[in-house]
Amino acid sequence: MHRLIEIILSDDESIRNQSLEAVCEGLSLESLLLAAAELDQFRRQEKNLYFRVRALFFLAAIHRYHLPNRLTPDHQGLIPFDGYGHLLSRRFLEAIDVFLQTQATSGPSDGICSALAEAYHKLGFQTLADQVRASVRGVRGNQWMFRIGHPDDHPLRIRPELLDIDPETGASPLIRECTAVRMDFSHSAWSDIFFLGMDYPQGARVVNVSVDLGVRGRDPHPVPPIETFLRIIDVPVIRLTSVDLGVSAEVESITEMFDFARDYLGLLKAAVIAAGIVPPGLEGSDAKISDLLSRLVGPGRGIELVSKINDIPKGSRLAVSTNLLGSLISILMRATGQVQSLQGTLTEADRRIVAARAILGEWIGGSGGGWQDSGGVWPGIKLICGTQATEKDPEFGISRGRLMPVHHVLTDDELAKESTRERIQDSLVLVHGGMAQNVGPILEMVTEHYLLRSDKEWAARQEAMEIYDEVVAAIRTGDVRRIGELTTRNFEGPLRAIIPWSTNRFTDRLIEICRDQYGDQFWGFWMLGGMAGGGMGFIFDPKVKEEAADWLSEKMVEVKRSLDTALPFAMDPVVYDFSINDNGSFAVLLTGENAIMPDRYYALVMPELLRTPLRELPPGRRSEMAQVASRIEGNQGSDTAKMLVRGLLPSVESSQAKQETLPEILDQCGFDRQQHETIREDLLKGRIGLASNRLASSTTITDVRPQDVIDLRGKIDQKHVVLGSRAIADGQVAVITLAAGVGSRWTEGAGVCKALHPFNRFAGRHRSFLEVHLAKNRRIAQQHDCVIPHVFTTSYLTDGPIREYLACNDDFGMPQVHLSTGRSIGLRMIPTERDLRFLWEETTQQVLDAQQQKVRESVRAALIGWARNSGQASDYTNNLPRQCVHPVGHWYEVPNLLRNGLLHKVLTQQSDLKYLLLHNIDTLGATVDPGLLGHHIDGGAALSFEVITRRLEDRGGGLALVGGRPRLVEGLAMPTEDTEFNLTYYNSMTTWIDIDALLTSMGLTRSQLDDSAKVDQAVRQMANRMPTYVTLKDVKKRWGHAQEDVFPVSQFEKLWGDMTSLPEIDCQFFVTPMQRGQQLKTQSQLDPWKRDGTADYIDSLCQWD
Amino acid sequence: MQVRKAVITAAAPRQNRLPLQQLVDSSGEDKTALQLIVDETAAAGIEEICLVIRPEDQQAYELAAGPHLAAIQFVHQPEPLGYADAIHRAADFVANDAFLHLVGDHLYVSSTGVPCAKQLVDVAKEYKCSVSAVQSTRESMLPYFGVVSGPRLPQSQQPKSQRLYEIEHVIEKPTPTLAEQELVTPGLRSGHYLGFFGMHVLTADVMSLISDLTRGDLASGDLASTSNGNKPCLSDAVAALPSRGRYLAHQIEGTRYNLGVKYGLLKAQLAIGLSGRDRDEILVGIMDLLSNRVEGQNVECTA
Repeated sequence: MHRLIEIILSDDESIRNQSLEAVCEGLSLESLLLAAAELDQFRRQEKNLYFRVRALFFLAAIHRYHLPNRLTPDHQGLIPFDGYGHLLSRRFLEAIDVFLQTQATSGPSDGICSALAEAYHKLGFQTLADQVRASVRGVRGNQWMFRIGHPDDHPLRIRPELLDIDPETGASPLIRECTAVRMDFSHSAWSDIFFLGMDYPQGARVVNVSVDLGVRGRDPHPVPPIETFLRIIDVPVIRLTSVDLGVSAEVESITEMFDFARDYLGLLKAAVIAAGIVPPGLEGSDAKISDLLSRLVGPGRGIELVSKINDIPKGSRLAVSTNLLGSLISILMRATGQVQSLQGTLTEADRRIVAARAILGEWIGGSGGGWQDSGGVWPGIKLICGTQATEKDPEFGISRGRLMPVHHVLTDDELAKESTRERIQDSLVLVHGGMAQNVGPILEMVTEHYLLRSDKEWAARQEAMEIYDEVVAAIRTGDVRRIGELTTRNFEGPLRAIIPWSTNRFTDRLIEICRDQYGDQFWGFWMLGGMAGGGMGFIFDPKVKEEAADWLSEKMVEVKRSLDTALPFAMDPVVYDFSINDNGSFAVLLTGENAIMPDRYYALVMPELLRTPLRELPPGRRSEMAQVASRIEGNQGSDTAKMLVRGLLPSVESSQAKQETLPEILDQCGFDRQQHETIREDLLKGRIGLASNRLASSTTITDVRPQDVIDLRGKIDQKHVVLGSRAIADGQVAVITLAAGVGSRWTEGAGVCKALHPFNRFAGRHRSFLEVHLAKNRRIAQQHDCVIPHVFTTSYLTDGPIREYLACNDDFGMPQVHLSTGRSIGLRMIPTERDLRFLWEETTQQVLDAQQQKVRESVRAALIGWARNSGQASDYTNNLPRQCVHPVGHWYEVPNLLRNGLLHKVLTQQSDLKYLLLHNIDTLGATVDPGLLGHHIDGGAALSFEVITRRLEDRGGGLALVGGRPRLVEGLAMPTEDTEFNLTYYNSMTTWIDIDALLTSMGLTRSQLDDSAKVDQAVRQMANRMPTYVTLKDVKKRWGHAQEDVFPVSQFEKLWGDMTSLPEIDCQFFVTPMQRGQQLKTQSQLDPWKRDGTADYIDSLCQWD
Repeated sequence: MQVRKAVITAAAPRQNRLPLQQLVDSSGEDKTALQLIVDETAAAGIEEICLVIRPEDQQAYELAAGPHLAAIQFVHQPEPLGYADAIHRAADFVANDAFLHLVGDHLYVSSTGVPCAKQLVDVAKEYKCSVSAVQSTRESMLPYFGVVSGPRLPQSQQPKSQRLYEIEHVIEKPTPTLAEQELVTPGLRSGHYLGFFGMHVLTADVMSLISDLTRGDLASGDLASTSNGNKPCLSDAVAALPSRGRYLAHQIEGTRYNLGVKYGLLKAQLAIGLSGRDRDEILVGIMDLLSNRVEGQNVECTA
């Protein structure tokens, strides 16, 4: 048996907790392949899920981190497309078999390793998700809901108290449930991930506290932030209303209840389903809600459910959505007698079933959270711990631990005499930093790291567990200063060691300034939930706490402003007042004239009610309107009246800082309206579109031959190094970094400037892409004792931020940094239904986990509806102006250098300049490498493109022989999807340019560069020869309290790689090492990028000071 | 233990007229539902019957009792104070004896030849304790029944043909959520529970439990608070029985018919008819009815 399998199977913790690295270190390629083969065999036969999962993650890591280092350039091979197809369709077992077959016949290669790594990784997570799903369904009290297949079988009945209509007011009794949110002191390094708790129950421990909140300076005092309401109505529908999201809908069919993305009521729908009102077993039934309701509530009656959050934005890290779900489920379960008490607090048994249902609801809604998240349903400070599965549990024999943890609420006797809770309230400044990030990727990383048990991270986890014990001890004694020390140590130690991405430049900066300002009186930083940047805690000496809270609220906004364009902020930071909630979820039954919804509810629904003739309203609504009228006449009337009027009449925008309008921006940037109209017409008529991007299917595209490329992955001969070094020293080279794009994929459409994103800590602090590129330039320039001019190309979207950033940092001490301002801009359009369908239905798409896929399909149906209703190919203007415009592709960025006179200026300053190194902002390994430059000079080509061997994630084109000539073919232009998989090399976009040869190809000379008319004409001529691609990009629209919607929008672009298609331009292609050409396109790449040593490699290329 | 007394409750609003309905018994004789119920008790060896009714119904009941009138003692429940209260009205009648209890709106058809009540009384005599008749009940029917749970008696302690359970929990009309957590009984199909059959043999202890309940003396640990309505019901009282001594559930071999539900009377009549002398005549009648049904009649299918 292989040692790795022994590690997996061992009962001895000292063996089981060994790291993969320790075993792999020193193994040869052959031994590692043998180990992988044994592990693969093991995972096929092993019945125990957890053993299988660990084997899968070992396999993924071996193929991702350990095998590639042992491969030489001779290990070359293609990734089979059918395997990729299986992978996208979630047929992971089949995908692995296809990839292994290829590996057996063609030998191991970097590409196959990347494909196997991905397949094993995904199979591992799928196996885990399946198990959690089975466990959630298997919880006693949840199972029956999956057996109910027809409304006639519905076993729930509404409590009779809710049907007693008040004879005087005609009002139906109303339950109001108030629920706290949870704030975690320590989660023992994300140990509340379901899988961790189930595999390692003794390590799964959280201490959290339920809190009420108020926005400092806005609310008079903290209140439970979540309120939900329920009553019986005289219409046979389920009426759902989210007061915060401003949406109300009447659900009339079961199908509609399962359509989560149709509106913003997905969470309420998930609650209705998870509470068993519309049991999940009914999904797919075409029955009417009224049939179900007549059994549940009585004929002709329905249920109204309303949610209201006290303006707590997303990303608060206080588990607002899980606790809202808990609150909704609790109120629905009270109403149907599934929870014993109709009013008051919940019993422990009730809280547990509510929490189990909330977990189910999150799964149904396609989201996910940790098991501590429904902590707001419990009162006060509590310890939540994983626990061993016993024979009575459905998990017994499957996992060591149970899905549901055990809660222990700390009583007053267990806390210090002088109340701990007051001391915490006196010291903690609770804030929302304004960032609303998705914590999902972090939780995946934690799971992976836990399974691999690498030494550093495992030690960090043990330390986090010790810190947990110390935090609990400090809570018991009420030593808040100690809590501050511990939470800071936790954050700066184990949490950052396990997941470096749990912090960011913004948070680090805030901690720095707190330390500078308050020294010893700043007692510590407290990371809440999965990551920092949104909800966070700062602990101060009570003597300065009030002052510090005011100071911090100003400073946070200041720091945010300085990073606004670099990090995705969803809102301005705020400080909260808070108090510890000792009730957990609490309900009251309101009757008679008190049974009235909150004012904001009426502000939302009243306009619609007033539009409907009174006689058409059901009696319940009529008496409700009379009640509202009498409330307005009463004491509290003025607030209600104001709120109603605000809902009825349009409000005047009183924004102080006048924003630039879209027409102004378009005007300013020389937007070409004529070209835009032509594109629109072409789009509508189907002349251009996603399908038409493709080259004709008759085009012969084959892989290049060895003689078509120059392989420079090995050592470069001295002759070329000397040639290149001399050119650098003589000032013949400059660097062009393309920074006009906003990195849609990087921030998922948030529209910040990717170049400025401080994405990783180098030399002690977070550094941006731009800083890394300058640091590489500095190093080469110092080595050659010269100056290498560095140009960043910008667009309307990035020019201002980059200019300001460089000015603030004095160009990082670099002598020649230039900005080439973009001269082209496009206006985004609503996509055509044809393009949306082409993208989603005709191209191979990554299928998601079953429930998430359902949600996605519902979103897509809604988006197609949106495109149709908003007018296909019409201008996309319903967003911030900068989110409506787009840069028009990187091809324009080189001509822009000519058009804006920058090249002319640099050549005038440095007449010896002959060569340019052009690269993307995210190609971090691109340097002015003397050997490569030497080859470029020696080859005499106008353009030398760098290519790398293809990994699975490298989609988007490649180097191909088209009609016998090597050229780069963009992914968008590939005639069929599998074409790309037959190409060995991927385009890294890094290009060595011979300035004079390029000018010649455009019909220009150096001396004509100051003739703008001539330059414009030359550029236009060349532009006409470049193909135009239509693409769909995601763009975020922010609204409400840090809510975000993502829309696909159409835009067009011309791409630099197509220069290789022009016959008169002499091109050559260099094969370079992977690390040089690898691009960081999405933030999910960061973790493997750091773990496989690339981050250290990049660091070694840089000179930081 | 001897069981010679029976208490039949028929005072609940909307159910008080059901025992007066006219049916045909398995031998083809016209009888009221009340007579059929009394026949059932007589077959179990009951000698004295206490009928709990509303005062204004007494005359009708006397007429409906037919030849059994002499064995029946009428007790009144003037106000609808609930099921438990109705039983408690018979406290004096019961005195210190064990008694058979049936509800007046149900009829029973045995599937073994031994009447249902007799099956139950035999078990009570053998084990000398309170026994409730139960049947496997699907979870969709939970809103209508009291439900019990507990382990099945080991095979060594009961004849092979019997299905006896040691009751640990009793909850009136539980939600499926609570049922799944507290009331799962090994041996039943998933989603099925032991629901009351509407027939019990109870010791006189139950009367004192009902008194405690109406005075509010029963602790919440006795699960008394689990019934949703305000008026105490029998389940609330018998929930405390397991803490006072042995309390068994007997899965009856037979079927009960609730006359109070939609088509309840019709179904009960068909079941009784099909189990007796006129079986063929009824079957022919049904076939005739089906074959002559006018097609295209507006029959809405909800399935």
